[in-house]
Amino acid sequence: MALKEQEKRPVAAKGEHIIARHLIEDDYIKEEKNLVIDGVDVSGRWNTFIFSRVNPKFDRSFFSEIKKTVVGSRINRCWQCGMCTASCTVTPLHRRFNPRAFIYMMQLGNMKELKKYVDVAWRCVGCYKCSQRCPKQVNPAEMMEALALVMKKYFPEEVESKLKVDEDVKKIYEDMILGNGRLDLAKLHISSMRKMGRTKELVDRIEGGAVLKMVKDGRAFSLLQLGKPHGWKKSRQAIEGYLKKVDTIEKN
Amino acid sequence: MLKENQAAYYPGCALLTIDRAYNSSAKLVSKKMGVELVELPDYNCCGIGEMKSKGAVSMYLSLRNMMLAKSKLGSKDLVMACSVCYHEISRSIARVKENKNELEAVNSIFNEAGETKDEFVPDGKVRHLLEFLYNEKGTEEAKKNTVKPLKGLKVAPYYGCLYSRPSMYTFTDKDPKMDNSERPRFMHDFLEVIGAETVSYGNEVQCCGGRNVVQDEETSFALCSQTLSKAKKAGADVIVTICPKCAGALDVNQPKIVEKFGKDSALPVVYLTQLMALAFGFSDKEAEIKDMISGPIKVLREKGF
Repeated sequence: MALKEQEKRPVAAKGEHIIARHLIEDDYIKEEKNLVIDGVDVSGRWNTFIFSRVNPKFDRSFFSEIKKTVVGSRINRCWQCGMCTASCTVTPLHRRFNPRAFIYMMQLGNMKELKKYVDVAWRCVGCYKCSQRCPKQVNPAEMMEALALVMKKYFPEEVESKLKVDEDVKKIYEDMILGNGRLDLAKLHISSMRKMGRTKELVDRIEGGAVLKMVKDGRAFSLLQLGKPHGWKKSRQAIEGYLKKVDTIEKN
Repeated sequence: MLKENQAAYYPGCALLTIDRAYNSSAKLVSKKMGVELVELPDYNCCGIGEMKSKGAVSMYLSLRNMMLAKSKLGSKDLVMACSVCYHEISRSIARVKENKNELEAVNSIFNEAGETKDEFVPDGKVRHLLEFLYNEKGTEEAKKNTVKPLKGLKVAPYYGCLYSRPSMYTFTDKDPKMDNSERPRFMHDFLEVIGAETVSYGNEVQCCGGRNVVQDEETSFALCSQTLSKAKKAGADVIVTICPKCAGALDVNQPKIVEKFGKDSALPVVYLTQLMALAFGFSDKEAEIKDMISGPIKVLREKGF
């Protein structure tokens, strides 16, 4: 039975997880329509080449920027063994999510390639299997957090257009934690659903039962039970003061 | 200040509201086993990983609770039942130990808020309730207190991710007293001692996708349905969890998962402490089994507990 279960696991397509696969993708392939060399016509497939891989303007500044962040401080340790991708929870579900390739691109500072993955890069579920199994203690799970920060900084437009819901939900979390000191989960759920335009689902046949139950037994009105930490106002002011002083990676 | 046989306990936000069943049953079980959980006064949210882009703020949020445990309860260590809080706070401690600048930044916020006079150094540990009960009281104590063994109940223990991983924060594998990271056993041991039969189903330490459960239901539902159906296939009557985030994904969302993936994924979810409370002779009302959305009360009543 164990074998059968394994067979069900999606198998990677040939070459799917080759890290430099982008080199043979369409936009890296040079093909001249009409080309005559020394009087010989080599049009079409004959003259197919990949663009030069040599990067004469290799820029280390991006690498050092990642290294400076706390989550990405171990990026230099990675030697691309692929254990992270092999143990990843998300990769079987979203084939384009490939931690090893992301780390590779970040090491090279390959912004052009990273930009293509704005829509999947945030899907890490934070299960830490990769960090547990990484032989070099790179901590890929947190590297994915660094990646999310980088994307937000360098591709704000793509993030804004593709990950609007994610950003909105994050904002709700932040406001609630800083404002109250504690999380009101029922309110959080309702406001996230509202942001996503799915308020209707809260009362429909499937989810409505759970919601009604929680309203009935009083769990939905959680703010009453939760309260606020005593003297939170001072802590909040201190946090806001700190955020004004310090440059986080998002800001600069 | 704490007396003997008391422990500083951090409930976290979920356990006071949506998952109050876990909170109350954890307190019942601990008291029966001879240690009283004293709630940390004025605790705040651990940050649940949503504040990571804000520099030292995420560490301040976590460490403020450690600071309070020290100043208000006189305890270095802090016990918690939520795996996410456990992860967040242990992560912050590991980080400030490694990085002096971060500790300075956190201390600057403490000073600004007037919460500590001199430098705060986190020298304590955070402890997961399961590990705490196992190491401090042991399975013997649970066996002694069992008056109504759960004979004939097949259970699938589900640890989730952050209880045992990563070792650099939780010290699994590294500390001989701690659990194994790939094949944890502590919950198995407790369940077997109270008379239930554990089944092996292969997804014990899989992820429920809880982090993105709001933004990315698709992933979470797929992962949860895999876990639930595997456990059901292995013959389990209930799946047992120790994390409110897992319960949120497996239990509260279960109607939606069943709608999408079919009846194979319908399996009642209970907390470990609820089952222990039942075995220790508390009624299902005291263990608040009815709070669970996926309806474990039906199965448990059928079996006669």
